[in-house]
Amino acid sequence: MMHAVVDSLAMIGVSYVMGFLFYGFYRQLNARIQRRWGPSIWQNFFDNMKFFFKSETLSHGPMFFFGPMIIMAGAFTTVLFVPFLKDSTWLQGFSQYGNLILIIYLLVVGPLGNALAVGSSGNPFGVMGVTRGLTRLMGLEVPFFLGLALVMLQHETSSVHAIMAAQDGLANWGIVTNPVAFVVILLPFIAAQNASPFDVVGAPVEVYAGPRVEFGGRLLGVLMTQNMMMSIAKLVLVVDLFLGGASNVLVLIAKAFSLFLLTTAISMVFPRLKTEQAVDFFWKVPLGIGVLAVILTVWLPSWSA
Amino acid sequence: MYHKTQCEGFQCEQAMLEVPGDAETVREGVLDKLIAWMRQRSLFVLAYGTGCGAIEMRPLMTSRFDAERFGIIGAATPRQADVLVISGYLALKTLRRVIRSYEQMQEPKYVIGLGSCTINGGMYWDSYNTVKQVDRYIPIDIYVNGCMPRPEALIEGFVALQQRIKQGGKAGYHQYRENIDWYKANQRKALGEEMPPAYTYDWYHAGGVA
Amino acid sequence: MSAMLRLLFFVVSLSPTLLLVTWDGSLSWALIDGIRLHLTLTPLAGFFLTLLALAAPLVALPMLRRPCDWPSLVLYVLLLLGMQLLLLAGDFVSFFVGWEVMTWSSYLLLLRSSRADMETSQSFILFNLASAFLLLAGILVFFSLTGDFAIRSLAEPSLPQALTLLALFGLAFLIKVGTLPLHIWIPSSYDQAPDAFSAFLSGSVSKMGVYGLILLPTLFPDALASFAGRFLNGPAFGYLLAWVGVITSVVATFKAISQEDMKRLLAYSSIAQVGYITTAVGVGSSLAIAGALYLALVHTLVKVLLFISVAGIVLQTGQRQFKDLGRLIERMPISFFGVLIGIIGLAGMPPLPGFAAKYLVFVSLVDARWLLLLAAMILASTAAFIYCYKLIYAPFLGHANSPGAKEAREAPWPYLVPQVILMGLLVLFGLFPGLAIDVLIDPVLVGLQMAPIGAESWAKLTTVYGGYDGVVLMLVFGIAFVLVTGLFLLLRGRMRRAGSPYDLSFAGEVPTADTPLHYGAGMGRELRRIPLVGWILRQGTRGFYLGLAGQMRAAAALLGNLYVGRPQAWILIAVVVLAASLAARAMMGGL
Repeated sequence: MMHAVVDSLAMIGVSYVMGFLFYGFYRQLNARIQRRWGPSIWQNFFDNMKFFFKSETLSHGPMFFFGPMIIMAGAFTTVLFVPFLKDSTWLQGFSQYGNLILIIYLLVVGPLGNALAVGSSGNPFGVMGVTRGLTRLMGLEVPFFLGLALVMLQHETSSVHAIMAAQDGLANWGIVTNPVAFVVILLPFIAAQNASPFDVVGAPVEVYAGPRVEFGGRLLGVLMTQNMMMSIAKLVLVVDLFLGGASNVLVLIAKAFSLFLLTTAISMVFPRLKTEQAVDFFWKVPLGIGVLAVILTVWLPSWSA
Repeated sequence: MYHKTQCEGFQCEQAMLEVPGDAETVREGVLDKLIAWMRQRSLFVLAYGTGCGAIEMRPLMTSRFDAERFGIIGAATPRQADVLVISGYLALKTLRRVIRSYEQMQEPKYVIGLGSCTINGGMYWDSYNTVKQVDRYIPIDIYVNGCMPRPEALIEGFVALQQRIKQGGKAGYHQYRENIDWYKANQRKALGEEMPPAYTYDWYHAGGVA
Repeated sequence: MSAMLRLLFFVVSLSPTLLLVTWDGSLSWALIDGIRLHLTLTPLAGFFLTLLALAAPLVALPMLRRPCDWPSLVLYVLLLLGMQLLLLAGDFVSFFVGWEVMTWSSYLLLLRSSRADMETSQSFILFNLASAFLLLAGILVFFSLTGDFAIRSLAEPSLPQALTLLALFGLAFLIKVGTLPLHIWIPSSYDQAPDAFSAFLSGSVSKMGVYGLILLPTLFPDALASFAGRFLNGPAFGYLLAWVGVITSVVATFKAISQEDMKRLLAYSSIAQVGYITTAVGVGSSLAIAGALYLALVHTLVKVLLFISVAGIVLQTGQRQFKDLGRLIERMPISFFGVLIGIIGLAGMPPLPGFAAKYLVFVSLVDARWLLLLAAMILASTAAFIYCYKLIYAPFLGHANSPGAKEAREAPWPYLVPQVILMGLLVLFGLFPGLAIDVLIDPVLVGLQMAPIGAESWAKLTTVYGGYDGVVLMLVFGIAFVLVTGLFLLLRGRMRRAGSPYDLSFAGEVPTADTPLHYGAGMGRELRRIPLVGWILRQGTRGFYLGLAGQMRAAAALLGNLYVGRPQAWILIAVVVLAASLAARAMMGGL
């Protein structure tokens, strides 16, 4: 019991620290690419703390207040259901009680709870943003889930632990044994991180900041925090599935960081897509690759056998 | 509309507005200092860009002047912003929107007046439709004068604001809260029928605890 | 007198429960020479009887509200009895009688609504009669093969015989289920039926089609597994059915998003949900059948809940269009929670049981290696989030858009009691995903000679592909929620309540009551700009059916040409037919 509590707190702490450092790095790198100095790597931490210590917060009623609480609880739950390390009793959270499909759905629980808050604020721009977000989700989830299904099929399980355990040694990493699946999920994964070029939903200049339009003060701080933690949970999940997991925190940070670097490199150089362009893109390119992958890796072997 | 009263603008009211500030010594703990330090490291800017000063604000965020290294970054909506930059002259029509945006910002909030027009009307001093002294309507923390000030000057203004936030003490929003009746009377005088409805500001009186 | 009658009605609505509790053994008697009627309760029928027992009294409560429509109550009783006969039937005669009683009484119930128009009622009865006649034809073919009406598996059907039976029975049940393109009677009839009865139509009557679909494979030896070969790791014939189901769900989901009327949206969502069930039946493995049954359970609970909540809204506001409602969260909080729990179940979000059901189906698709189907199903179930959000945003959040919505009060208790009960059941099944497996689904699987799923404990859902623990999930989420809220409130700083619903961040502007702020009707309209969705939404089955009608008319005209007014022509035709048949006899085997 004590172990579970300490472990959970450690996971939440690790994901928060990794979250603001990664995003701080992202802003630095972005600045350097644009030939600027950019903010310090701690900038996201400062921003977040500033919002948490705003002396005034506006609320539009109980549902508006509980929305960010739900999304934060959703982020905690997601983090706790993703195993951070393999072959370790630490940083496991409650991941043995969950599975991959559950995690994918948990990623959506929080944002949907927050969508209720956005709706109850009564601001039409926020609801427009939510609709855009759900539309993008509809686009990205199809190839994303197809890629993950290829992994589940490869290992014949939906347990993240089992998939991690099967990847002992570099030659057995998912990215080596199932590279097509990785290619299929890569771009939807970037969209799931709400990164450019698929960041139309929350971008500041798009319909007045979209879902976050009415949130300010401490509630916005909560939304920022959950965003950082959720991003880390997704990164760690992909590390678990394709990069063989990690046996200690340093390896975990290194692997998550290299994955983050890859997605950042892609998102830095592409301009933003409109929602329907993004959805259409997902249904053509990543899903097309996914269908090819299914034909190549599932249909052909069964016919030749 | 700008009306002459028995003593005009700065002559009698400036004194009243300038009394607080450093006169009030607030005992601050370590936590307050830490929070104040974080606050000044992270300023989200709501750029009110209808005046000509707006053209000087764009370069501020781009590679040449790079305000992000000071933690200054644009905010999309007033709810998320800490600093309101009024870039130049305000017409009566835009005054209403500025007041609305300012009141929608969450405290602590600060205002930077950019350009001479915010101080005394600048080159529009005799226009029938331009607000001469913005700080009769909303409290301005930092003025950056010039017509137009260069982005460097604006950065200097931001740095001065950061110093002030770090020191703590009362800021413009305290004054607005304490002198709300005076500000509202001025606004009503200027806007007349166009005054925003009462619910937008009556919580300043109520103490506004939900 | 009236009170007694109402009490009696309520007791009759409990009859499926009583039947479920008291029935043991079987009943059998000879109808005419050589044909025996047989009433028994198989585990499969028992499962669907449980669903009926759950839904029937809960739908009866709102129907009992004064002023009662007595003919509706009588018809409802008739409908219930018909459905119980259908489920008890061990032979096709009673099955058919039950089916017909169900069809006719639901048709007459539909007609009791003042909103039912000619076109809707015609399409309802035409499609349902077509279903019944196909069923009758199937039964006669079955009788010609076995010489008996008892529902049991055929000995050794040849391929054409099996195909005929499959086509006849399959079409009959698919019409009732409402898969594409046989669905067109559903949206308008669910929409126009009396509000409380829509819940029963969607929650229970459509399940009889599902019952038929699951019953159908049991008519064949080894349950179709070897029929037409295998595709990857599942039956090839099921692959076709699964695609029919998935395409139904995808199309119906997008149609649901574009609806502007609450009940029509629910009707399309119903089609989509039953599409998932059809897919799972197509997969046919034990995991998939468990998933199908689980989905049927969840769909019954969720749709009865949602239709009753919506009926309450319509009753209190008099509005049913999304654009005319809004901000009912303050006026109808219990209905809000009803719809909230309903859409969480509908969207298949954890921790409610909708997730457990979808999990089983997804895993069964991975197990069968039908990944493209899985992708299409994910598309439908993710797009469902949009209509779920529309369903809760447009009536309950945003801004009130009509006088009715501004002055509404909470729905009366006959609407609230079923909602509370159903919410409780959904949360219970969500906490204990293994409960439904252990108590309801495994007996059916054993009855169908399939491997049971098994549940370690009621809190856990376990499959060979891994599982999850509902109690742990709910606890973690609940504790996290309480902690987050507590910590948040501990932070310094004031919370301030907005002074008015119009205190919005609106580009410095002050919106007023005249500003169009409610996004309810427009939501989902921009989806048409996505090429695929736009294409789907432009398609309709109306053209197909109009074409079919045109062809029929042309064929009839051709036949009509033969019936001319001259007796000589008649005699000529008779002679030609006689000669042709003689020639045929002569060629086939000689006179």
